Formats: sequence, structure tokens, C-alpha cells
Amino acid sequence: MPACLAVGQLKDFPGPRVRSDLEERLASAERKAARERAARLEAEAIAEKGLRELYESQQQLLLLQRITHGANQTGDVGEALHLAITEVSQHMGWAFGNALMRADGGGLVGCNIWYAAEPDELFDFVELSRSCRLARGEGLPGRVLTEVGPVWIEDVTVDSNFPRAPVALKCGLRAGCAFPVLVGEEVVAVLEFFSRKRLPQAPGLIAIMAQVGTQIGRVVERDRAQRALVYDALHDGLTGLPNRALFADRLGTAFQRAQAGKPATLALLAIDLDGFKGINDSLGHAAGDELLVETANRIQAAVGAVEAASRAKSPWQSTIARMGGDEFTVLLDDLPDPTIAETVADAIHAALRMDELRPGQTKATASIGVVHGDRRYIDVDQMLRDADLAMYEAKSTGRNRTVTLSETVGSQIRQRLSLEQQLREAIQHREFVLHYQPIVDLGEDGQICGFEALVRWNHPTRGLLPPAEFIDVAEETGLIIFLGDWVLRTACETLAKWHGECRGGSQPYMSINISPRQFLQSDFARRVRAVLLETGADPASVRLEVTESVAILDAARTSLVIEEIRSWGVKTSLDDFGTGYSSLSHLQRLPFDVLKIDQSFVATMSERSESQGIIRAILDLARTMGMGVTAEGIETAEQAKALRQLGCSHGQGFFYGAPLGEGDCLKLLRDGR
Amino acid sequence: MKGVVFNLLAETVSNAHGEEAWDGLLAAAGLDGAYTSLGSYPDEEMSNLVTVAAEVLGISPNDVLRWFGRSAMPLLATRYGVFFEGHQSARSFLFSVNDIIHPEVRKLYAGAGCPHFQFKDGADGRLLIGYQSPRQLCHLAHGFIEGAADHYHETIDVEHLACMQKGSPTCRLALRWVS
Repeated sequence: MPACLAVGQLKDFPGPRVRSDLEERLASAERKAARERAARLEAEAIAEKGLRELYESQQQLLLLQRITHGANQTGDVGEALHLAITEVSQHMGWAFGNALMRADGGGLVGCNIWYAAEPDELFDFVELSRSCRLARGEGLPGRVLTEVGPVWIEDVTVDSNFPRAPVALKCGLRAGCAFPVLVGEEVVAVLEFFSRKRLPQAPGLIAIMAQVGTQIGRVVERDRAQRALVYDALHDGLTGLPNRALFADRLGTAFQRAQAGKPATLALLAIDLDGFKGINDSLGHAAGDELLVETANRIQAAVGAVEAASRAKSPWQSTIARMGGDEFTVLLDDLPDPTIAETVADAIHAALRMDELRPGQTKATASIGVVHGDRRYIDVDQMLRDADLAMYEAKSTGRNRTVTLSETVGSQIRQRLSLEQQLREAIQHREFVLHYQPIVDLGEDGQICGFEALVRWNHPTRGLLPPAEFIDVAEETGLIIFLGDWVLRTACETLAKWHGECRGGSQPYMSINISPRQFLQSDFARRVRAVLLETGADPASVRLEVTESVAILDAARTSLVIEEIRSWGVKTSLDDFGTGYSSLSHLQRLPFDVLKIDQSFVATMSERSESQGIIRAILDLARTMGMGVTAEGIETAEQAKALRQLGCSHGQGFFYGAPLGEGDCLKLLRDGR
Repeated sequence: MKGVVFNLLAETVSNAHGEEAWDGLLAAAGLDGAYTSLGSYPDEEMSNLVTVAAEVLGISPNDVLRWFGRSAMPLLATRYGVFFEGHQSARSFLFSVNDIIHPEVRKLYAGAGCPHFQFKDGADGRLLIGYQSPRQLCHLAHGFIEGAADHYHETIDVEHLACMQKGSPTCRLALRWVS
């Protein structure tokens, strides 16, 4: 074995004879070796430091990558928070991580999203933290809210602003740090972490956590946008109430549940403001919108009050929706007592009545239709339709009231609706005919001096129907405009024809009824003139009958219209005189040619002396004002005689002749009765 | 094996026997000896060096490893002081090997094959440490344990209950704190 291998004896190894310069060179070589060794160690230290930093930043980037990837994969904020809490805790080797979300009132609340490396050891701290509530500035997470940035606590067990310190101490936790989840400048959540060891602040980690906060913030932002979209799609933008779509959904669910169990626990209210269009038109849309918002608030308050009052006994649910325009609906579900629906309706009426909806404006009222759940309903649409029907009924029967749809009311309404539909078709198919009732001189000879045109509906299945069967519906629905035009034109055509046929003989006049809506048309006079010109009817032989109630609605306008019409020679009659509310002052200003005594006075004149008294008064009045008088509904010779004796000049009725077709009338005229 | 272990060996040998001793050892083992801490070198080079040293010193290779482990500890404490801070005793220091020291080692030396130790309290009050590694360096571990005891001014009596070198599937060390 070579001696040089004896490690322990190397120092004593007898080397070659040493020259001094050789010794010097050896010493130099040793110094050089020592320098190079020192340089190597330093180079290794630098490389190690670089490798360590590279490794750590790679790991942090991987952490961020995992969190970013996870955040991009999910739309669920809770899921993203859980991922971040778990990944960061595991990466850092921290004992506990916990997420807190913003709470109502501006603080933070634990949302049961946490990670613990050893949950059983940290049980008490986890229990305390996972749903804790902290005010702004309070504790570790609360300080993140005020600082809008990371917060570190070197030792939570001795920190003066850490309410959970005793439990942290018990569980062996020492240091804590917390980071914000940001949407813009807003802290939407806080991630807090705890370690059993001292936790030095690391700039690299703070930068990574800022990125993590931003990534989770994006999930929150997406979630918010999604919620806002869904909210907007299901709510009315003006009032914030559920819209038709959401209401239909809620109603559908409630309907199915109720139909499967007790249908009567369900009720539906359809609410419509009275005269809203007028407010919108006269005060503008801004005022209309303001009114709708106030109405929505009041309906909510009213329903809420009834709900609160009766809830203690048995809870029920309500959904209030704006269906569009000034239409609101209320769904009442799980009602212990169906009459609560009417109580709610009353409360809504009262709430709207309470004060002016807008300062300086008249109080708004609403018409409400109520419908109760019933097994006969097959689907929700039927219920909605019936609630609307009831509401329209409330509107058409005086407004500012509630109509509950019973079976009777329902069938009446449906009948009317069906009549309306048939009327539309009748106008299209020209199913109307005119009959003419003679108006005679009540003198000895009973000479025919004119006719009143009366409309009949030649119904395809029900036969000839008198006006009482359909005029009200025509008036309500506005169809009277078309019907009235047709009557005016047809009567004028007939008049012109008769005058042509009876040239040289008696030239009767034609009395034509004008409906309220027709008369209130702004261009009524122009329309009459057009018909006169087109048909060639002699204006002097045309008499337009207007009812008392419409004549006094706007007496000044009525006066102007009638004066214009009279200027062409057309005469005017005030129909149904004595049944309305005309005051003498009104009558004085209205330039009618003829007063028509309502048939109700004529029918009762023999048994009731006051009827005779009224007829006498009307005749006196007419004489004083220089108007002619025609009595309606004369059925007997006695009535005719009595009227004649009272001084009534003209009359009509079955006694003198029932309404006849055009041809029969012409024959009458030719016969020269 | 990582170059840092060769560097430690070079340092312990040089400290104990002088620079020339390390040079002679390399020459005898037929190695050029250019080791840098970040490099990786064949395991055989380490076993060659240990074998040669054992021959020269007239002791067993296991004793060389044990001496090396114990002697290297002060060097490690100087170079990687952060791992020794925060421990009051060799026991807690030993417990931190798996979870703290080895992950840190892997940060620096990508792909380092660190052994995993199992810790168990024995019925007789001794601490049982299980060790399994194809390198079968349980005596180096023994030396490190003694070095750790020195660092915290303790004395630990280490007994090899089982050894892979003797055909056991794992090595098992029993530690008794004498002081």
C-alpha cells in the first residue's frame, strides 16, 4: 500500500528536498487553492440562493395558476373562495384558512368556507371563525376593510385588536395574516390565515396574494353580473317589483301546489289604476312613472301590513308584480282563510286613498279584481284572465272598488265578452237594420209628421234584438262609434229616398239618436255635415236626439256643437228629458228645438198624479223657452187624450204605430194617413 | 448523491486531518474530486471514499459514516442555521427533518432523493426511528443524531435494532436520551 494513502500520516510524509523557491511556490498554490475554494463556496451560495428563489417563485406561480384556473372554471364564488383558502394554506403550510364575505351593515361574516390542516386540533377556533361577525376595523379581517390591503399580526395571542385571541392561544395559533378580495376598490371578501409559527411578511407572497384577491374578485364580479342579468330579466326596472315572467313562474308553482291540495288557499288580485292614461297624458310620463312607483310602494306596504297582522296565526306568502303599464298583480298563497284576499284589496284601496299620490294632484284610485283558487281552473292563464275580468268589471261598474269573481259574476262578464265579440262581427257583417217609429201630430187627425230611427240587430241565431240588448255593451266598448255612424248615414239615406218618393206629398222629418260617445267626438259636427252632403238628406228634416246626461256633461261645448248643427237647419232634441239632472240654468243655455218627454212619465200618468204634474211642468217650461215637445211611449187612447188635453203637440208610441221597416213606412206615407 | 455531501465530507476530513488528507483520499480512491454542492455524483464515489478512509484509519466503513455524520453537524449548523433555530432540543429538531428540512433540501437540489424517517415512541420509553433507503446509510443517520445531540448539548444513546445491511427490510434505531 503506497504510503501516501495513509491519511493520518500524510503530514509526516517525507517529501523531496525543498528549495526555498519551491516552498514559496507551494505557499502561493495553497493561497490560490484557498481563494478558489472560497470563490467556489460563494458561487455555490449565490447559486443556491438563486435556485431557492426561483423554486419559491415557481411554486407561487404554480399556486396562482391553480387558483386562476379554478376561478376561471367556476362561476360560484363559494367554490372559488374555498379553492383559494385551501391552496394557499397548503402551499404555505399554514394551519388554518378562513373566508369572510361582506355582511349587511358593512362588516364581515364568516361564510363557512375554511381549511384546517388538522381540524380536530383546531375545532374550537374553526367553530368560532367559520360564522363569526366582525365590524369594519374589528379584528384581523375587519382591519383589511379599513386598510383595503393586507394585514399581518405577528402574534395574535397578544394583539389588542383580535377578539378570538383566547381561543387562538388555546389552539396553539400564533401568527395571522389577511388579504382582501377586491372588485375595483371595493373589498368584497377577506381571506384570513393562521400559522402556529412566526410569520414574517414576505413581499413576494403579498404580491401573489394580491393576484389571488383579484382573481377571486373576478369571480365575484361575474357572479354579480350574472345575478344582475337574472334580476333584470325578472324584475320591473321602474318599481323593482317582480315582472310578468317572474310572477308567472311563482303563480305556476303556487297554482300546482294549491290544485294538488287545497285550491282555496290561493288567491289572485288584478289591480289597475283608474284614469292612469289621463294622468300620463296630461302630466307627462315622468309624473306617470312617479305615480307608478308610489303606487307600487303603497301596495307593498298594504299587503305587508295585512300579512304581518295575520301571520302570527298562520303564515302565508305574497308576491306583488307589475305586469306592465298601470297593471299590478298580487299573488296570495297558503291562505288560511280565503277572505284575506278581500282584506288585502281593502287595504290597497285604503293605502291609495290615504294621501295624494303626488303633491298637488288628486288622489288616485284603483279597480281591483279578485279571484280565488278553484278546482275548475285547469291552468294559471284561466285564473289570470278571470282576475282581469273581475278587475274590468270593477272598472266598468264605477271604479275604485273590488269585484270578486264568483260564478255568477263570471258568467255575466263572460256573456258580455261574448256579446262584445259578436257585436264586432255584426258590424263587420252588417247585421243591423233600422226600423222607424212614426211621430204624429197629437191633434185630431193624428197626421204623421216624422219618424224616429231605431236600430235593430238581426242576430244570426237570436233573431231581431232591440237596442236594450246590446247598446250598453256597444257604448262601453266604443263600438257605438261605428254603429252610430252607420245609423246616422242609413237614416239620412232613407230620409232622402222617402223625400224623393213623396215629392209633392208630406215630407216627414227623421229623428236620429246620437250616442254619448258619438256626440263627444271632437269632430262630431263635421261628420254630421259630411253625412248630410253625401246622402243628400234635407238638413231641415233631420233631427238629432241627444240624451240629457251627455248634453250637460260639458254644457258650453254642447251649446257650440248644437248651434253649429242648427245653423245648417238641422233640428235637435233633448232625449229622455226629466230623467237626468238638468238644471234650468243648463237648459236655458242649451239651444235645443224639442224636448222629448220620457216614456216613464207617460206610462205612469194615469195612476200617479206627480207624473202628470211633471209633464205639465215640462210643457210649461218648453212653452216658456219656445221649444217643441214630443211625448214618448204612448200606448193607449187615454194617454193620447190626456197628453193632448195638457197641450202636448207631438207624440209617438205603439198606439200610433210600432216601429216599421223602410218599405212599410213608405207605404204609410203614400197612403197619406 | 448530491455534491453538497461530498463537500461536507471534504470539509470534515480537511478539518480533522488537513487539506492533504482529503487530496490523498481522492487519489487513493481514484477520483478527481471536483465536487460542487449543486451537482449530482455517483453513489459509488461516496462508498469508495468511505471504504478507502476506513482502510487507512483501520476502522469499519460504518464507523467512518458515523464519524462523518457527527462531525458534519456543526458545519450544517453554520451553513443552514435557519433549520436549527426554533428548536430547543434534538428531539424536536429530528422531528422536523421529514416535514421541513427535506422539503427545503428539495427546493435547492431538484430531484434529491431524501430518505423518510418514521418516528414512534417505544414501550421502553425510547424513541424508535425507522429508516429505509437503497443507500443503506443508517450509520450516517446515527452520526447525524449524535451531532444533533451535541448541538443541543444532549447525550443520546443509539442502538441499531434492525439493519438493512443485515437483511432486514428496514433499519430501526432506538434512541435513549442519557442527558
